[in-house]
Amino acid sequence: MDTNYLATMNKVYLLDAKQISVQKPLSEEWVTAPIYPSVSPSSFAPSIDPDYAQCFPPNLRRRLGKLLKRALLVSRSVMESTGIACPDAILTGTGFGCVENTEFFLEAMTFEGEDCLKPTSFMQSTHNTIGSLIAIETHCHGYNTTYTHKGISFESALLDAFIRISGGQIGNALVGAYDEMTPHYHILLKRTDYPGDCHFGSEAALSAMLASEPLPGRKPLCRIEAVELCYGTSPGCTAKALGRLLDRAGCTIADIDALMTGLNGSEANDAVYVNLGAELFPGKPLLRYKHLFGEAHAVSGLGLYATAVCLDRGSVPPFMFAGDAATEAAAGMKRILFYNHCGGKNHAFTLMSSCG
Amino acid sequence: MDELILELKHEIIKALNLEEISPADIGDDDPLFGDGLGLDSIDALELIVLMEKNYGVKLTDPSQGRDIFRSVRIMAEYIQAHRTK
Repeated sequence: MDTNYLATMNKVYLLDAKQISVQKPLSEEWVTAPIYPSVSPSSFAPSIDPDYAQCFPPNLRRRLGKLLKRALLVSRSVMESTGIACPDAILTGTGFGCVENTEFFLEAMTFEGEDCLKPTSFMQSTHNTIGSLIAIETHCHGYNTTYTHKGISFESALLDAFIRISGGQIGNALVGAYDEMTPHYHILLKRTDYPGDCHFGSEAALSAMLASEPLPGRKPLCRIEAVELCYGTSPGCTAKALGRLLDRAGCTIADIDALMTGLNGSEANDAVYVNLGAELFPGKPLLRYKHLFGEAHAVSGLGLYATAVCLDRGSVPPFMFAGDAATEAAAGMKRILFYNHCGGKNHAFTLMSSCG
Repeated sequence: MDELILELKHEIIKALNLEEISPADIGDDDPLFGDGLGLDSIDALELIVLMEKNYGVKLTDPSQGRDIFRSVRIMAEYIQAHRTK
């Protein structure tokens, strides 16, 4: 690795992030008062929506689907909190896109034919509607790309933003993770074994502002030191990707305090995290977030957010430890590796460190 | 005509997702666009689809909509004169 080259790269900070999920919306109250949805395993728990009447004019409220309202609100909120009114780029990660309007559109095609289809459902039925709506409503007409790659859609968007910011092409980027679910689609997906035998299925809306510089007089939530994606099923694949990530960050496994994982209660899913933890991070605490935020393709955005909030606060709530929380919670957390996999084939590593 | 106007109000509320508005809130002669219901160009497309789907009325020239969608009453009169179903 050319260290001179690395020295010229910009640092990447996560300035702030806002969420709408099964936890209290636009709030970090989940840290002290987490909500555990009362649904049976593998069921679907919808997000808690704020009162949109307080946020949007009637025309926008009636026209936008629920995912678009959520995406727009969390984006506006994080733009307002960071004072960045027009980010240089908007990067979106979504597994399913606007499912609700896709369903309306396909139902109309099925039951009423293809002659008289509603334009609103059509316009809001694509995956990249989300990023384009955010751009139109916020007047941000810079680089705008949507990534749809199942469970690593968000990290694909994050990697794009990370490369562009660290390479100096852009100074900041709004990066989002958005997925919604409908009761009907949940029933259909269960036939394909999605989301599997997990705690509960969920929805996600997360907007995060990344930048090459912290805001004046304000500590970022955390620094993102490196992002690495890989595809493969062999243990060597993840070990190599991890090696590349550590090279880029200029650190070793010993410098990492904990591994944030997507443990979700499903045996097949969890085995990948447990095995990687045992092989590459022996003795390191395993953290988890999906018992709080559920399972959705874009929920890894909420995993990154939860990790960032922990680093910002300098502590990890006991309920996020997969192991013995009583002994592990006392340890200070300065650097956490966020690891996410999809089907044991697609892997995403994000190295995050405290700015405090 | 009154029956068609009322039916049309229900259909407009449904098609445009006007959740907070009831048929009684829409005056027969109130302007639908601008100061009235505050509808816009995407709503105009929805109304064109509504007329074709429900009444078999096809607007071949979209600029006709400017006159036809001035109020529910004018819309109802146009539908009554041109409906095929």
